[in-house]
Amino acid sequence: MVLEQDGVIALSGLAHDCGVRPGMRRGGVMMMAPQALLHERALLKEADAMNAVAMAMLQFTPLVTEGEEASLLLDIGASLRLFGGIRQLCRRVLDSLHALGFSAKLGVAPTARGAWLLAHGGGGGSLTIESMLRKLEVLPASLLPPVRPFLPWLTGIGCLTLGELFSLPRPGLKRRCGSAVLDMLDAARGDKPELFEWIEAPPSFSGKLELFGRIENADLLLAGACRLLQQLIGWLCARQFAVTGICLLLEHERGRQARPPTPVEVMLAEPAWRDEHMVRLLKERLGKVELIAPVIGMRLETLKVEAMAPLSDSLFPDPGGSKEDRQRLFEVLVARLGADKVLQPAPRADYRPEYANVWVPVQLKVRAADVKAQMPPRPLPRPVWILDKPIALLTRDHRPFYTSPLQIVTAAERIEGGWWNDVQTRDYFIAEGEDHAHYWLFKERLASEEDQRWYLHGLFG
Amino acid sequence: MARSDPITAPEAVHPSLWFASQLARSTTRCIDTGYAALSAQLPGGGWPTGNLVELLLQQNGIGEMRLLHPALAGLKRPIMLLQPPQVPQLLGLSALGVQPSQLVWVKGTGRSADGQWAAEQALRSGCCGAVLLWDKHVRGEALRRLHLAAQASDTLFCMLRPIQEARDASPAPLRLAVRGAAGGLQLEFIKRRGPQRDEPLFLPLLPSMLLRNAFVDRPAPGPASAGSILPALVG
Repeated sequence: MVLEQDGVIALSGLAHDCGVRPGMRRGGVMMMAPQALLHERALLKEADAMNAVAMAMLQFTPLVTEGEEASLLLDIGASLRLFGGIRQLCRRVLDSLHALGFSAKLGVAPTARGAWLLAHGGGGGSLTIESMLRKLEVLPASLLPPVRPFLPWLTGIGCLTLGELFSLPRPGLKRRCGSAVLDMLDAARGDKPELFEWIEAPPSFSGKLELFGRIENADLLLAGACRLLQQLIGWLCARQFAVTGICLLLEHERGRQARPPTPVEVMLAEPAWRDEHMVRLLKERLGKVELIAPVIGMRLETLKVEAMAPLSDSLFPDPGGSKEDRQRLFEVLVARLGADKVLQPAPRADYRPEYANVWVPVQLKVRAADVKAQMPPRPLPRPVWILDKPIALLTRDHRPFYTSPLQIVTAAERIEGGWWNDVQTRDYFIAEGEDHAHYWLFKERLASEEDQRWYLHGLFG
Repeated sequence: MARSDPITAPEAVHPSLWFASQLARSTTRCIDTGYAALSAQLPGGGWPTGNLVELLLQQNGIGEMRLLHPALAGLKRPIMLLQPPQVPQLLGLSALGVQPSQLVWVKGTGRSADGQWAAEQALRSGCCGAVLLWDKHVRGEALRRLHLAAQASDTLFCMLRPIQEARDASPAPLRLAVRGAAGGLQLEFIKRRGPQRDEPLFLPLLPSMLLRNAFVDRPAPGPASAGSILPALVG
């Protein structure tokens, strides 16, 4: 439960069952539930949390502002079509809040004050003024902050709900309660415009999160990272940026010796401003990180941002997924397996098979025309599989032997070259084993008499 | 004995019904194998896409790429080679008609789970034309998982496993054992949607260079005789 100035202001259901009620003093709480955890209210942390949520909400609309009493107002009038209607939008807002680790009540109404009242009254939505008024009329009048000082008087005249407040005579209400109450009522009904100062996204992004405990588990780290990513997405959408590199800094406990934070960098081939893909990449990266010490906090920074390029959808989409899908697949593979494991061909025009068969990491840009230019004009007799290191073969009855005696079936192909770095003078043959597999063998041509042996260099798949 | 309601053509009732003596019709698109004798023996007349196809090899390099190359050569999308036991050789693959720029080679990390994970990612993304996965020991649930992932895509997905694994059950609807034979390959149909076929199918499949020998009978440059060189060049 949370205390402010020695009085309970928020409590869990379990504490409520123990008999603790809002407004109780510390001593009373200790008597009712001695095992309860007491926290002082931290206004600074609340403001931080509010900021984090506001930042994340910027992904749905650029018009976000803080309302009274821990609420955020979003003008979504222009966002409805983009996000596929009000229901979709509400679901996404709630999902995003859930990812941030907060719970919220959502109020939807044609006026900002109406939505605020609905949210504070327990949530709900209405799309027309009439249905909103019907819903507002049954809400308690005490929801409006300027009404609260006059609550005993209003209770005394039997005016408990907003509907009854609406029907009171306006001049009398203004004389007794001041104009603030009337202004709010008019704003809720849409009779009077409201002006807001919209929150502006800061010019650079740096999200920070303090974890509640010492964390050594990658899954829990990912949950924290998702909260930071939500903020990043909001910031990117608000500033119309896309990101090509992010860095997650894992801060370690300040023990006897200070440890520098562990950086987890994620580079993207294509600029991105949506979170699903980044979450996938971060998950693979975090699964591989070795933690030197438990993590107590994390920070998310952008390494490289660029202007967002809007999607251009083609009229007839490619059946096999777009180029972006392919890039995304390669990125995911690289994130888990490492850049040296996912390779694409970059052949070189060279006679020596080891030098001709070059594979480079898939993220390097290799033009298809370059690949084509390096290929021979007509196919050469080469095996599909080649051994990293040629295997020296035994010789039995003057024939090479590899699990069975091999029969040479072609004339020699002489490959000589590489006087500039690695001279090869070899005669290559195709041989067939008794299992009818075909092998690629060679003999060193210039070797001395006793070195004249057979080497296995490839398999014809 | 006459039946009261003889069903003469069950395939007319529902596409997934067939007599045990018939070949099933494929519900997915099939890629022609390039060998008429083999295509005629496969349900749907080719390699089924969006299915797990198992090739059980007598040994690596027995001729699996020669068997697959007509299908691979016709693809437009990337071809993933996952954990092949040896280094793929570009010249050899391009001699089989496979475009080198389509190839992506994922090296083995030593753990078979990584290969299966990569195959699943590639299948789920749906942007690959073919995924070939080499794996020695796969557990049944991993096979089922991969088969499910394959069904969500229209990718040609082949697993290349050692022939000893033929004894174990598998969810793959098509399993072929590949053995070498004089002058080609012998295919045994271990499992297919159709009648049991016990005698192996022989495919004449030699490495193409054995048939051509183009490099042997290329004319050698004639030796320069003493008088044929211009004096200007010598001086």
